Amino acid sequence: MNTARPSGVAVAIAAVVALALFPLTVEGQVLARNGLALATPYHLTLGISLLQYAVLAAAWALFSGPTRYISLATAAFFGIGAYTTAVLSNELPMASIVAIAALIGVAVAIVVGLSTLRLRGMYFVIFTFGLSALILQLVIWFETKITRTVGRLVTNVADEQIYWQLLALAVAVFLVGWFVGRSRLGLALRVIGDDEAVARHVAINTTAAKLTLFSVSAAFMAAVGAVMAPRWSYIEPRIAFNPDISFQVVIMALLGGLGRLWGPLLGVIPLVLIIEYIAANFSSHLQLILGVAFIVIVYFLPNGVAGLIDRWRTEGIRLPAAARPPMPATGGPLLEVSGLRKSFGGVRAVDGIDLTVAPGEILGLIGPNGSGKTTALDLVSGALKPDAGEIRLRGRPIAGLPPHHIARLGIARTFQIVRILESMNCRDNVIAGLAFRPDPLWGEAARERAAALLDRVGIANRADVPAGQLTYIDQKRLELARALALDPQLLLLDEWLAGLNPRELGVGIELVASLRREGMTIILVEHVMDAIRSLCDRCVVMSAGKTIADGPPGAVLAEPEVVAAYIGDAVA
Amino acid sequence: MIAGDIILSGVILGGIYAMVALGMTLQYGVARIMNLAYGEILVAGAFAAYWLYASHAVSPILGLAVVVPLAFVANWAIYVLLLTPLVNRARSREQLESDTILFTFGLLFVLQGIGLAWLGGQIYGYPYLQLPVDVLGVTVQANRLTAAVIALVIGVGLYIALTQTRTGMAIRAVSVDPRAARLVAIDVPRLSGLVFAAGGALAAAAGVLISMSQTFTVGGGVLFTMKALVIVIMGGAGNLGGTLIAGLILGLAEITVARLVDPNLTIAVDFLIFLVVLMARPTGIFGRSA
Amino acid sequence: MLRLISTIAAGAIAALAVSGAAEAQDKIKIGYAISLSGPNAAGASITTVPNYKLWFHDIEAAGGLKLGETRVPIEVIEYDDQSSNEELIKAAERLVNQDKVDIMLSPWGTGMNLAVGATFAKYGYPHMAATAATDLAYEMAAKWPNSFWMLGTSTMGANALTEVLTKLHGAGKINAKVAMVSVADAFGIELSNASRPALAAAGFELVMDESYPITTEDFSQLINAAKASGADTFVAFSYPPDTFGLSGTAIALGYNPAAFYTAVGTAFSIYRDVILHDNVDGVLGIGGVDTDDPKFKDYAKRHLEVTGQPPDYWASPVTYASLEILQQAIERVGKIDREAIVKEIQTGTFDTVAGTIKLDRNVNPNVWWAGQWQNGEFHGLAPSSMAGAKEPVAPKPAWKPAP
Repeated sequence: MNTARPSGVAVAIAAVVALALFPLTVEGQVLARNGLALATPYHLTLGISLLQYAVLAAAWALFSGPTRYISLATAAFFGIGAYTTAVLSNELPMASIVAIAALIGVAVAIVVGLSTLRLRGMYFVIFTFGLSALILQLVIWFETKITRTVGRLVTNVADEQIYWQLLALAVAVFLVGWFVGRSRLGLALRVIGDDEAVARHVAINTTAAKLTLFSVSAAFMAAVGAVMAPRWSYIEPRIAFNPDISFQVVIMALLGGLGRLWGPLLGVIPLVLIIEYIAANFSSHLQLILGVAFIVIVYFLPNGVAGLIDRWRTEGIRLPAAARPPMPATGGPLLEVSGLRKSFGGVRAVDGIDLTVAPGEILGLIGPNGSGKTTALDLVSGALKPDAGEIRLRGRPIAGLPPHHIARLGIARTFQIVRILESMNCRDNVIAGLAFRPDPLWGEAARERAAALLDRVGIANRADVPAGQLTYIDQKRLELARALALDPQLLLLDEWLAGLNPRELGVGIELVASLRREGMTIILVEHVMDAIRSLCDRCVVMSAGKTIADGPPGAVLAEPEVVAAYIGDAVA
Repeated sequence: MIAGDIILSGVILGGIYAMVALGMTLQYGVARIMNLAYGEILVAGAFAAYWLYASHAVSPILGLAVVVPLAFVANWAIYVLLLTPLVNRARSREQLESDTILFTFGLLFVLQGIGLAWLGGQIYGYPYLQLPVDVLGVTVQANRLTAAVIALVIGVGLYIALTQTRTGMAIRAVSVDPRAARLVAIDVPRLSGLVFAAGGALAAAAGVLISMSQTFTVGGGVLFTMKALVIVIMGGAGNLGGTLIAGLILGLAEITVARLVDPNLTIAVDFLIFLVVLMARPTGIFGRSA
Repeated sequence: MLRLISTIAAGAIAALAVSGAAEAQDKIKIGYAISLSGPNAAGASITTVPNYKLWFHDIEAAGGLKLGETRVPIEVIEYDDQSSNEELIKAAERLVNQDKVDIMLSPWGTGMNLAVGATFAKYGYPHMAATAATDLAYEMAAKWPNSFWMLGTSTMGANALTEVLTKLHGAGKINAKVAMVSVADAFGIELSNASRPALAAAGFELVMDESYPITTEDFSQLINAAKASGADTFVAFSYPPDTFGLSGTAIALGYNPAAFYTAVGTAFSIYRDVILHDNVDGVLGIGGVDTDDPKFKDYAKRHLEVTGQPPDYWASPVTYASLEILQQAIERVGKIDREAIVKEIQTGTFDTVAGTIKLDRNVNPNVWWAGQWQNGEFHGLAPSSMAGAKEPVAPKPAWKPAP
C-alpha cells in the first residue's frame, strides 16, 4: 500500500467485494443455494471476530501508530459503544445507535485527550487504563444506585448484518487511514511521535493534531462496540467494558507493526487464527500453549514488534501546493525583550534581562555555563513560559504563547543538543518545517523547496537518507534547514557550532555568514569565540541570569567584568 | 472512634498496597522491565505460603524465609535466561518496553496455564491469625495488621538500604539514567538482573502476606499487576518513597470512601485519585520530569 | 517466521474446515464450552465441570445413552470459553457447525447462559441453564422456548430468605433490623431489589443497605458498619470471593450477629473445608439440599469418588438433575430429535437427585434458596414447602478465633 497504483486500488476493491459476498456463501444463503456453498455459520462467526479486531487495531494504530502513544482506552470506547446499544437497542434503529455511540466516543476522547496532553510513555499507558477502569466503575455505580438495573437485554441482530456493518467500518477506517497518511495531519503526527518538542517548534499545533486523530480513532472503536453488542443478547457493564480488549488490540497491532497502514492486519489475522486454532484443538491447556506461542513470536519475529520503533516510511505526497504570500514589510526593532524573568525552584535562571534585536542583525548571546542563555532562548521560542517580563516580536507581545504559535509568528530555532526526526528521511524532516507554517507548502512544491533548502545547507544528496544515519555536522545542517524551512523572521541558533571539528567549524561559520549576507536576523548562543568575533554585529553577555555587557564583540570580550565571569566559571 | 478506625484500617490497607507495588517499582523503575506477569509471581508466593501452611504447618511468616529466596533465584533465572536476549537486542528504551510487554504477556499466560493445569481454577485460602486485636481502642484484624506491619518494615528497610548503601546508590543511579550509570563503572546488566530478581522476591513476599487474610486463585494475578502498576506510576516509577506514599493514599482513600461515602465507589476513587495526580504531576508524585 | 505463521494459519483453516461426518447414529456427540480459565473458572470448576464429568462417567458405565433398544456410546468435546462471551459464542458455533454435536451442554453463570442462549435457540438445541439465577428467567424462556432455567428466579431467593428471617424473628431470636450488602453486579442488584419489598412487607427494617464492587479486597468497613448498625441480621448477596472475604473478616473482627447470611459460595464444601473450618455451623446461605435424602447421599458419594471433590450444596445437584432430565428426555424420545426432546423437557416429569422435577413454563419452580450449615452440612431451610426442609437455628454460635 505504498502507492495508490490503479492495480492496488483494483485489488483492494475486489477484496472488499469478495469479503462482502462471503456471508452469502454460508449454508442456506443465496449463493450457497446456487452451488457456491463455501462456509458454515461458524466461519461467519470467525469472520466477525477478524473484522472486529481488524477495525479496532486499525483504529488504534490510526492514533498510536504515528504518535507512539500506547493507549489502553480501547475498552473504554468499545464499551461506550456496546453500552449505548444496550441502553438504546429497543428504542432506536441500529444506524442511529452507531452514530450516537460514535459521537459519545468522540466527546469522551476530547475530554480524555485534553487531560492527557502532558503525559508520555508508560504514564500515558496506565492513565488510559485507569480511565477505562474509572468509566466502568462509574457506569456500574450509576446502574446500581440510580437505575438499579445491572444487566440489559439487547435485541439480536443476524450475524451477516453484523458482519457487513463491521466490513463497512473496516473500509471506512482504512480509507481514513489512507487519507491521513497522505495529509499534513499525518506528517504532523509522525513528527510528534519522533520528537514532540521539535513538532511544536515547527509550528505544529500538537494538541489539535493529537486530539483530532484520537477522536477519530475513538469514534471507530465506539462504533465497533455498538455493532458487536447485539451478538451477546445480554450486556452488563463488565462485559461491555472488558479491559482484555484493550490489551488484545495493543498486542495485535504491535505484532503486526505500525509502520504501514496494513500493519495491524498482519497482526490481527494470524493472531486471531492461531488463537482460534489453539482454542479448537488444545482447549484444556489453551493458556499454556497460547503463552508459549506468544513468547516464540516475540523471540523470532522481532521485526513485527520492532516495527513500532523502527522507521515508518513516509509516503509519496501529491497534493497541490499552496501559493506563498510575500513576506510582511518590516520596520523598527524586530525583537524587544524587557524585564524577562524565569526561576526554577529557588534558582533565578533568567533574572530580568532586556534585549533588542534589529532586523538583519546577528546578536551573539554569550556567557558562562548556567548563565541562562538557553533558558532565555527557551523563553523567546515559547518552550518555557516566563514568570515576568515582556517579549515583543515587531511590537506584538508573544511572551507565554505556546511554541507552535510563536513559530508561526516567525521565530525558528535549533536545539543545544541536536534534535532531528531520526526515523524520517532528510526531505521529510525539512517538509515538517514547511508544512505547518502560516503559508504552508505541501506536495510537489514542498518537495522542491525542501530540495532547495537541503542544497542550501549542503546536503542535497542526502534527501532520501534516514536522518538518523547522518554524521553529526550533517545533522546540524539538517536541523538548520528545517528551521529555515519555516521562513523565519528571527532564527535562534543554540550552540549550533558546538562539537564540530575545526574543518567542520569553518563550514559551519561560512554557512551562518551566508545567512547573514541574505539579511537573516539571528540570535546566536555560542561558546566558540572565533565564531562570535567573525559573525556577530553585537554581543550580549549573560552571567547568573543577568546581562552584564552589551556591545561590539571585540570591546565586550575585553571588559573586566566579562573576563571575571568567564574565569570565575573556569575556576568553579 | 470511626476516625481512628478509618485511619488505622486505611494505613493497614495502604501498607498492603504499597507492599504489592514495591517489587514492581524496582522491576520497572530500575531494571526497566514492564513485567505483566508480576501478579502471577505474587500469586505463586501466595500458593507457596498456602502449601507450607496446609501441608507442613509452617506459619506464613516463617514461610517468608523459604519463599523469598526461592523467588529471588527463580526471577533471576527468568531475567538471565529469558529477558537478557531481549535486553541485548533492544536499541532503545521504547523497544525494550514494547518487547518486554509482549514477552511478559506471554509469560503471564504460561504461568497461569501451568497453574491451572496443576491447581485448577478453585479458590484457595487458609485461616491464619483470624482474630480481633485492639489497637488504641480500635478493633482490627490481627492477620491484616501483621501483614501491614511486615510490609512497612520491608518498605522502610528497603528505603534505608537504597539511600544508605553503596549498592543502593548504584541502583538509584541506574534508575535515573542507565547510560550515565555505566560511565561511572556500574555493571548495569548485572545490577538490573539482581534488581529484577529482588523485585520478584518482593512480589512473592507480598503474595505470602496477602494470603494470610485473603483468598486467591490461579487467575487472580492480573488484578495485582494492575494495582501495582497504578501505584508505581502514581508514585513515580523507580521512586520507593513515592510507591509507599501512593499505596498509603489509595488505602486511606478507599477506606474513607467505603465508610463515609459509598462502598461501591472504592475502586472508582482509586482511579479518580490516580488520574487527578497524573494530571497535576505528569510523572507521578515524586517522578522526575521526562 | 512468516512461513511458519502461514503454515499455522493454513492448518487452522484446514482444521476448522473439517466437519464431523454425519454418519448413522453409532455415537452421540456431546459438546460444551465452559470457563476453564478466567474469572469464571472458580465457579465452573466447583459446580459444573465435575458434574459433566460424573455424567459422562455414568453414561459410559452404562454402556452409552439408550436410544430405542440400543445403547449408543458418547463422544465428548470440551472447549474453554476463557470467561469471554465472544469466545463462548464462537465456541458454540464451532460445536454446532464444525463438530456437529448432537447435544450441547450449558456454560457456567447467569451472564454466560444469557449470552449463549440465542445460539442455542438459533439451532434448536435444548439449553439446560443450571447455574443461572435471574428474574429474567420467565421472559427468556418465553423468548427461547428451548431454554430451561433450573435455578429459578432471584425473587424466589429473596422470598426464601425472608421466610427464614420471619421464622427467627417470630421465635424472638433476632430483632427486626437487617444490615444488607450486595455485590454491584446483576446478581446482587436483582436479589437486593427483590429483598427490599419482601423484607419490608415482613416488618423488617433495613438499617444498612450498601453495595460494593466486584474484586473488593478489604471488607473491614462493611463489617464495622454492620457491627455499628444494631442489626441482629447480616445479609450479603455476595459472590464466592466476597463470601469468603466477608466471612473471614467477620471472624477476624469478632462480628457475631445472631443471623449471618452470605450468598454464592456459602454452599461450597470448600467454604467449610478451606475457609471456615469449625466456624461453619450456624452460617446461613443461598441454596441448600435435603441432606437426608438417600438419593442426594448416593449422588454426593459418587461425585466424590469419580471427580475427587464433593459436590456443592446448591447448584451441583441441580446441575446433575438437569443432565438427568436431558438424558431421560432423550431416552424417552428414543432418538436425537431435538425438537421432540425440547418438547419432552417442557412437559415431562422427571425423577432426579434433586427430587421430582416438573418445569413450570420452562422454569424450575422448586429450588432450595436458603440453607444453613448445621453439624457440618448445609441443609435446605426454605422454601419450607420443599421436602426435607429443616428449621433455622439462631443465634449463630460465636466465631472461634483462629490462631
